[in-house]
Amino acid sequence: MNCTEFERALADIIDDESCRTVEHHQHIETCSTCESLVDDLNAISEEARFLEREAEPSARVWNFIEIALRQEGLIRGPQSVIAVSKQKKGWWRSVWLVPAAAALLIVFGVRYEHTAPKALLQNVPLAANDVASSDDDQQLLQTVQQRSPAMLASYQANLRDVNAYVHDAQESAKRNPNDEEAQQYLMNAYEEKAMVYEMAMDRPLQ
Amino acid sequence: MTDAKKSKGNKLTETEAIERAKQGDAEAFEILYNLHKRRVYSLCLRMTANTAAAEDLTQEAFLQLFRKIGTFRGESAFSTWLHRMAVNVVLMQLRKKGLLVVPLEETVETEEETPRKELGAADAKLAGSVDRLQLQRAIESLPPGYKSIFVLHDVEGYEHNEIAEMVGCSIGNSKSQLHKARLKLRELIKTAKAQKANHF
Repeated sequence: MNCTEFERALADIIDDESCRTVEHHQHIETCSTCESLVDDLNAISEEARFLEREAEPSARVWNFIEIALRQEGLIRGPQSVIAVSKQKKGWWRSVWLVPAAAALLIVFGVRYEHTAPKALLQNVPLAANDVASSDDDQQLLQTVQQRSPAMLASYQANLRDVNAYVHDAQESAKRNPNDEEAQQYLMNAYEEKAMVYEMAMDRPLQ
Repeated sequence: MTDAKKSKGNKLTETEAIERAKQGDAEAFEILYNLHKRRVYSLCLRMTANTAAAEDLTQEAFLQLFRKIGTFRGESAFSTWLHRMAVNVVLMQLRKKGLLVVPLEETVETEEETPRKELGAADAKLAGSVDRLQLQRAIESLPPGYKSIFVLHDVEGYEHNEIAEMVGCSIGNSKSQLHKARLKLRELIKTAKAQKANHF
């Protein structure tokens, strides 16, 4: 058996030694190049099993999932009495969140649905939107801090993540104004931002 | 968590969380998500090499799973069920983008497709010195078709018959693509090592 014949068979025999013939074994024993090749490929395969799985998705992923499950009615059950009364007591403080969340959805949602992407990017000043979001974010965090300081860090992290997502999506849409996927990506990012606000209204801050 | 559970100080087991999730318990869903998010996300990240895309796919995989949780009867491990769903979500996305190109012909090889095997050359062995970071970077550089098969087999542990069914190719094709992926990785890692050695 020569090296060409050995390498042609390698795909079928490398992971299953029972498929190797006497000729294959003899070739590995007598050819250092092919022996080296087999060892290298096995080393790569072995090492791949231990590649880390510690990467973690950002908090926005769970936020999105939770909101979607609630909206679809898959998360059910009444809120606790204490949570409801707490919510009722301070509801008027957070009533501004309703128009803020709605405004985000309306401004970004309607515009992106009914305007050609390129024209939209020309009309919508991204810098101005960023400034507006920042003021609303500050107001949201102040409200969270007043109602439930323990949740503040979580909401800060959520906002940081979703703002990074929005920024990425804006950049991507700017670079690819005619790309429908980039526009949809941006829409999704704004929807997620609105969902964070919605969660602050909907969820009892315990 | 109910007050009774809180006072016991017990966390829900996965089985308990599944049953509670079927009843619509928010905390149960979150427990299941936290138990499996790293593995699902890592898979999506390896297949797409893009954190935003990986997060979107992770979301989609869990949503699909949670929508169907009422049908889970426990015949297989929950993690297996979830993982298979995640793989399908990723593969569907790659197909949509035209990135999951697995050649149907096993025997046709072009110069461009087949990594060089360097016949007759005395190569320094990689065995015993495969740097994990270099391997990760090399995987990211693989063409999408090779990457999918390699990640599914060598990283995630699927067998060729399972990969063939998921990807829509033959078992022989899966083996061939895996072999080419490993050859390509070997080439990339050796190049990276040589460049590093030259730099110093």
